[in-house]
Amino acid sequence: MSGRTRDLGLHLLDRQIVDPDGHAVGRVDDVELMVPEDGSPPYVIAMLTGPQALGPRLGGLLGRWVVFWSHALSRGSEAGPGRIGMELVTDFGTDISVSRTRLELGVHANEDRARDYLVGRLPGARGAER
Amino acid sequence: MKRLLGLTLGILTAIGGFVDVGDLVASAVVGARFGMALAWATVLGVIGIMLYADMAGRVAAVSGLATFDVVRQVLGPRVALLNLLASMAVNLLTLTAEIGGVALALELASSVSYLLFIPVVGFLVWLVLWRLPFEQMERLFGLAGLALVVFVVAVVRLHPSYAALWHGSVHPKVPNGEGHPTYFYYAIAILGSAMTPYEVFFFSSGGREERWSERDLAEERANVFVGFPLGAILSLAITATAALVLLPQQIQVEHLDQTALPVVVALGKVGLVVVILGFVAATGGAALETALSSGYAVAQYFGWSWGKFLPPARAARFHAVLLVSVVAAMTLVLTTLDPVKITEYSLVFSVVALPLTYAPILVAANDRRSMGEHANGPFSNLLGAAFLILITVAAVVAIPLMVATKAGQ
Repeated sequence: MSGRTRDLGLHLLDRQIVDPDGHAVGRVDDVELMVPEDGSPPYVIAMLTGPQALGPRLGGLLGRWVVFWSHALSRGSEAGPGRIGMELVTDFGTDISVSRTRLELGVHANEDRARDYLVGRLPGARGAER
Repeated sequence: MKRLLGLTLGILTAIGGFVDVGDLVASAVVGARFGMALAWATVLGVIGIMLYADMAGRVAAVSGLATFDVVRQVLGPRVALLNLLASMAVNLLTLTAEIGGVALALELASSVSYLLFIPVVGFLVWLVLWRLPFEQMERLFGLAGLALVVFVVAVVRLHPSYAALWHGSVHPKVPNGEGHPTYFYYAIAILGSAMTPYEVFFFSSGGREERWSERDLAEERANVFVGFPLGAILSLAITATAALVLLPQQIQVEHLDQTALPVVVALGKVGLVVVILGFVAATGGAALETALSSGYAVAQYFGWSWGKFLPPARAARFHAVLLVSVVAAMTLVLTTLDPVKITEYSLVFSVVALPLTYAPILVAANDRRSMGEHANGPFSNLLGAAFLILITVAAVVAIPLMVATKAGQ
């Protein structure tokens, strides 16, 4: 899927990322650009997801506040936002499909925390999948 | 029967827009003060919500995007966040009011103070959110909410002059002793409540919960064309009973029990039992709708996994939002804030949420690349744009009118 020209704002930013099992991975909160030294146009090398990517796009005091708290709550276990290389993208549809599961991508610390400390402790949390 | 069961998503969605606790009281207030002179606002509201719920449902079925997916993609993170905060305020205030509403209905049945019921009601609402599959939930509350049809029966049993009711509806006149600002405040409140944004969050996400695809568009449309008019008819029936029984006696409506009064006059104790059942189902259904709308909106904005079709451990942050919402609403209602007043004040936040929700839906329903032949036609676009202007103007005028009339007093 590399090498094609797309409208970044229209086809990538703010889209939902889903894994091969159809589970939500996150949103494309920001992207990482590579600027070639030979002066050719910059291209996207990775999608960034999570509050530490969203914060800078919100900008201002609110944005800094989001980044600060997300960093504080993560207790240093993850530095910077979740990063998914463009080579993992398998389809640009309404959602962006990637070839690794959300566990393999390791961008799911907050979901895991919500499960481990709150939701997963309540009776019936792992009820049969319907 | 099977066809009726397929329509419960539309019915439950409409309950939140037309017969939630705020509307149950407001419809009777309006009938007791203005007769049928505000029926046009309900009719206008039902056209608007049908138009936009159909667009939101169609987008959910064809392109697979629920409403807050669309809001985030069309508006970007900053403006979408503004909408999210305003919508969450509307959702939380309404959820607070509905939990209070269920408790008030139980007070009506038992004469035990509603505050004592709050912990039980809050727990049961959460339990349904936690355990009951989506389709069973919408069937239980959608069908039980139909108990409110008792208001239609009551209108018939009161043997009114239908010609007079019709005349009062199509030739609206502000009664002596009521000011025009108050009249228009109620008109805007009715319109805003009929088109409240959590309906489209719930309807479109419910469509995703039921895994609608392009093949289900007929079902989607049937839900829109049955559910919302049914809600509007129930709301108009409540207004009519109040206009027939309370207006001639100069009885002012302030509480839920006065909404039930005309039914008791027309149908006696049996009527009261059915009304209370209807109140519990409608306010309970609206509580579920607003709580889920909060979970859907937040999860879709941030791109978390969501939905009742997943076990809670697979949608942990979504369920955390539901849990926190219910606990926060229970706490708020225990401060003894009047549940009916709370829904009126949520109108303030709708000013921001209404245009920022409906404009993106209009954009997404026009995206021919993802919608193909199911994109909006010129008629839907013209009507959609007209309603967008109307609700924006109404929303802006609402706050000065609210202040000037002290919320319609």
